[in-house]
Amino acid sequence: MTVSSETHRPFDRRLKAIAKDGGLPLVLAIAAPLGSGALLVVQAYLLAQILGATIVDGAPIGTVAPMIAAVAALWCVRAAFSALGEYAGQVGAERIKGTLRVALFDGLLLPQRGLGVAPASGATSAALVDQVEAIEPFFARYLPAMIAAGFLPFAFAVILFPIDWIVALLFVFTAPAIPLFMALAGMGAQAATNRQANALAQLSAYFADRLRGLVTLKLLGQAGPATDAVHAASEDLRRRTNGVLRIAFLSSAILEFFAALGVAGVALYVGLTFLGYLPFHPELTLASGFFCLLMAPEVYQPLRQLAAHHHDRAAARSALAEIEKQIGVTTAIAAPSVAAIRARGPIAIRTLSVPPILDGLDLDIASGKHIAIMGDSGIGKSTLLRAIAGLLPHEGEIDWGAGRPKIGYITQNPRIFFGTIADNIGFADPSATRAAIETAAELAQVKCFTAALPDGLDAVIGEGGEGLSGGQAQRVALARLFLTDPDLILLDEPTAHLDQRTEAEVLDAIFDFALGRALVIVTHAHAVAARADAVYRMAGGKLFAVPHRRHRTSALRKVAQ
Amino acid sequence: MKSLLFFAPLLRPHLRAFALTLTLSLTTLAAGTALLGVSGWFLTATALTAVGISFNLFAPSAAVRGFSFIRILSRYFEKLVGHNATLSLLSDIRRWLFASLFPRLPLPGRQLRHGDLVSRMTADVDALDTLFLVAIGPLVTALIVGGTMTATLFWLLPGAHWIYAGAMAAAALAIPALLIVFTRDLGRQIIDAMASLRVHVLDAVVGHDDIVLFDQQRHVSARFGAAQAELSRLRSRQGLAVALAGGGVQVLTAAALLGTLIVGLAALETNAINGAVLVGLLLAVMGSFEATNVVVRAVGKLGSAFAAADRLKAIATRPPAIVEPVRAIPLPPGSSVCFDHVDFCYDDGVPVLVDFSIDLAAGGHLAITGASGSGKSTVLRLLLRLADPQAGKITVARTEISHVALADLHARIALMSQDSSIFFDTIRNNLTLARPDATDASLWAALAGARLDQTVRALPQGLDTMVGEIGATLSAGQGRRLALARTLLSSADIVVLDEPTQGLDRETELAFFNDMARALEGRTVVCVTHAHIPAEIGLATRRLENGRLTDA
Repeated sequence: MTVSSETHRPFDRRLKAIAKDGGLPLVLAIAAPLGSGALLVVQAYLLAQILGATIVDGAPIGTVAPMIAAVAALWCVRAAFSALGEYAGQVGAERIKGTLRVALFDGLLLPQRGLGVAPASGATSAALVDQVEAIEPFFARYLPAMIAAGFLPFAFAVILFPIDWIVALLFVFTAPAIPLFMALAGMGAQAATNRQANALAQLSAYFADRLRGLVTLKLLGQAGPATDAVHAASEDLRRRTNGVLRIAFLSSAILEFFAALGVAGVALYVGLTFLGYLPFHPELTLASGFFCLLMAPEVYQPLRQLAAHHHDRAAARSALAEIEKQIGVTTAIAAPSVAAIRARGPIAIRTLSVPPILDGLDLDIASGKHIAIMGDSGIGKSTLLRAIAGLLPHEGEIDWGAGRPKIGYITQNPRIFFGTIADNIGFADPSATRAAIETAAELAQVKCFTAALPDGLDAVIGEGGEGLSGGQAQRVALARLFLTDPDLILLDEPTAHLDQRTEAEVLDAIFDFALGRALVIVTHAHAVAARADAVYRMAGGKLFAVPHRRHRTSALRKVAQ
Repeated sequence: MKSLLFFAPLLRPHLRAFALTLTLSLTTLAAGTALLGVSGWFLTATALTAVGISFNLFAPSAAVRGFSFIRILSRYFEKLVGHNATLSLLSDIRRWLFASLFPRLPLPGRQLRHGDLVSRMTADVDALDTLFLVAIGPLVTALIVGGTMTATLFWLLPGAHWIYAGAMAAAALAIPALLIVFTRDLGRQIIDAMASLRVHVLDAVVGHDDIVLFDQQRHVSARFGAAQAELSRLRSRQGLAVALAGGGVQVLTAAALLGTLIVGLAALETNAINGAVLVGLLLAVMGSFEATNVVVRAVGKLGSAFAAADRLKAIATRPPAIVEPVRAIPLPPGSSVCFDHVDFCYDDGVPVLVDFSIDLAAGGHLAITGASGSGKSTVLRLLLRLADPQAGKITVARTEISHVALADLHARIALMSQDSSIFFDTIRNNLTLARPDATDASLWAALAGARLDQTVRALPQGLDTMVGEIGATLSAGQGRRLALARTLLSSADIVVLDEPTQGLDRETELAFFNDMARALEGRTVVCVTHAHIPAEIGLATRRLENGRLTDA
């Protein structure tokens, strides 16, 4: 048990830390059951008095009418308390979840968390949306129940003491035993809950992945097997969930059992006292006995509540663990983006290593120079660009000379978001005017295909460039570059999907734009490399200069010739 | 609401389990009510009995013990059986949903986002559990126990039964109904807000590099924050509705109890009832309201469940993009490919192919070149019936492809497209999707054909290396090579390749085209590329321009 409580500790600490975000609503959610409990004592006392007065003493209904009215009023106030508590719990939990989600989301956007470093997007979204949701019951229900369970049974026992000390003692000794038994029953619960949370994340990742590849699966004739695999994965989750529930339900059954024993014990004691078989408290009245009996289930009620929500704590712990696994730090704060300064000085890269791909690579990028990098696919060209841009952790040094320059980088697989083409270009600079977007679209040869579309630049495209050909999507992404004002431009095969003529036009625009700026361009095409000031070939994680004479002539003119 | 009936057939195999759950929960509630009633009666009877007179302690105390044990046991099994039945129902729904997606492919990406699809598959299916497990069960139990209690009151304390029946009906029917009315739209909005949150996260993960590179973190984070705040606001409102309903049920419990008490006290004055029975009835009334608390909490989520059911139904009943022939004719052996005066445009109405024709004999190899966006990939999509032309006909093995079953057509043609998916699985499993019985030797041969064998050999786990999402452990170029290897592995008679050499340098590219004739000898090949193919390679090459083929 010590081992498991050790492993829980960091999560419990974190739960405690984020509880602060709940603020006043959470305090109200915790206070409401306590207030309601205090009123309950008065209510039960009045009810017992009513029954005692009428049934034993034969008092007429008129004499107890005020008491009945008081019970009705108390009941209404308690209903209001419980509604308030529940609502406050929800609001408090919403605050906590909101703060946590935004922190996690900002953490996702940290520079070093690119694809390949980060886990599957399906698992990430499951962690951020579903797992964060899974901590709600802990704050909205478990926490208030826990505090109520730690306080109310003892308070009730103390109040009952002057009325009947034997009943009070019975409560004092049975109530604390219950959590102990529950803990014994729930010992395996945390492990089972963790396994289940893990299975849930895997299921989400699995679905996201398979749903993305539905068409491929269909074309490969895999519709049947893929469907069966989905069912099998879902069934696996069911079995794990059952494992968790069996334990959770068992511990609440144990609690019910003890609560029933306690209530039955009180009933038997009161009954036998009334019949004169027990000598301890012969003058016990029906009203007092009834009060004891009415209070008996209420003593155990907070504990039953706690048992019902016992699973919520285990669920919250494993949700945090799962979030940590999928997204990392749960207290992530977005790194302040260092304001880039105008820096067009020379850049010196020394012994840059990203094991096992780059191995002590050196590269000098003189100010305003254009460098082409060639090499086999998978050799590390994109890795080099990612390391320069700070998207990948690396060893070695990058000397920025005059200070960190503003980088404009179009990756090999630029993300096209759901929205219009103009929105996708304007993504690079939300403050860009329509005219600027039009110009950028013109330069990147986007206009030559949007001209034929009825909505032109306002045509809506799907995620990942759905509705565009590969080359068109690439040009939309490239147009983003022309909206920025970078000092260092990094381009990863910007013309890979383009036919010769479009490639030539796009290259003209790129090299014009790059005048006076440093440019590193990764390419397979000699036509592209031919325009650079220097060409390197990458092999074995290093760069080797290639003898090269630059052709400044526009490739377009060459095609025309 | 109607969407729920849509799922009824899926419910059928689980009916017995749900009936068992219902019986168990009825037992639980009845035992609980009886337990309270008997204890109240017992206690009062002992108090009223004069000291020393013999009182039969045995029967009532045995009943009390019996009822408590029955209640504990039946509650335990009720929860276990109910959850298990619900979860296996959800598995069935997932399988059914997945299966119903395939005939509807390709889904319109411009209307349906990936994150949204994932949401439907996971969260929406989960939202349905509220419906089956917690809403219907307790509602039915509450009504049955409420009815029985009303009858008992009618028998022992007439007059009180009206008050009780009214309060019970309000708590079990009217309040839940009001709650449904108030939270219905809210539930739909919550489901939409959750889906939108998921889309934001998926965009942030997949678009991470671009967001960081363009320094848009703040902007993107603010958008996410707004979406999250909207979700919080909606859920708080839902929480308020549920809390108020819960308070209402408590007030109704008080009304039933105090109403019964007042009627009972009046009856006591006329000796129409004895004190012990009255106390027993009072406690039983209290116990019978236990079920209504659960109903309220479950019903609060019902709005979301309805919305989820609607969303699932919408996707499962969407008209298929491609209609299978009513009576498919078998596809005869052969691998000739023919496009006969085909016209095609997408929804935007811009003509892509105009009077487009190809006639490729079995075993023929053809390369199509053309400007980016000229419709090269569209030709391949039409051949696989991922879209249908507006005019003209397309035949494979001299059979019009719209007359054969899609599965037959797809089995005949292997495609490597620009968006061929690499799955989050091992290299081996990614490859064997194309041919489940492939030997290691044929896997390596396919990898060699795609120029990926040396890379894979260098990996510590070789063929059993896991490939990340969207092929992230491999570079983008290597992912494409893996998709190419998968296509080469397939035993299909017709092979269609979309930009197979993208990401290769010029020498390797030429080597690939040189080998292609030999490697795919005897199979019909249509290859779309923007690479320049020298005449000495001897590959028939046509150029696609203005929707027609011209000689390159």
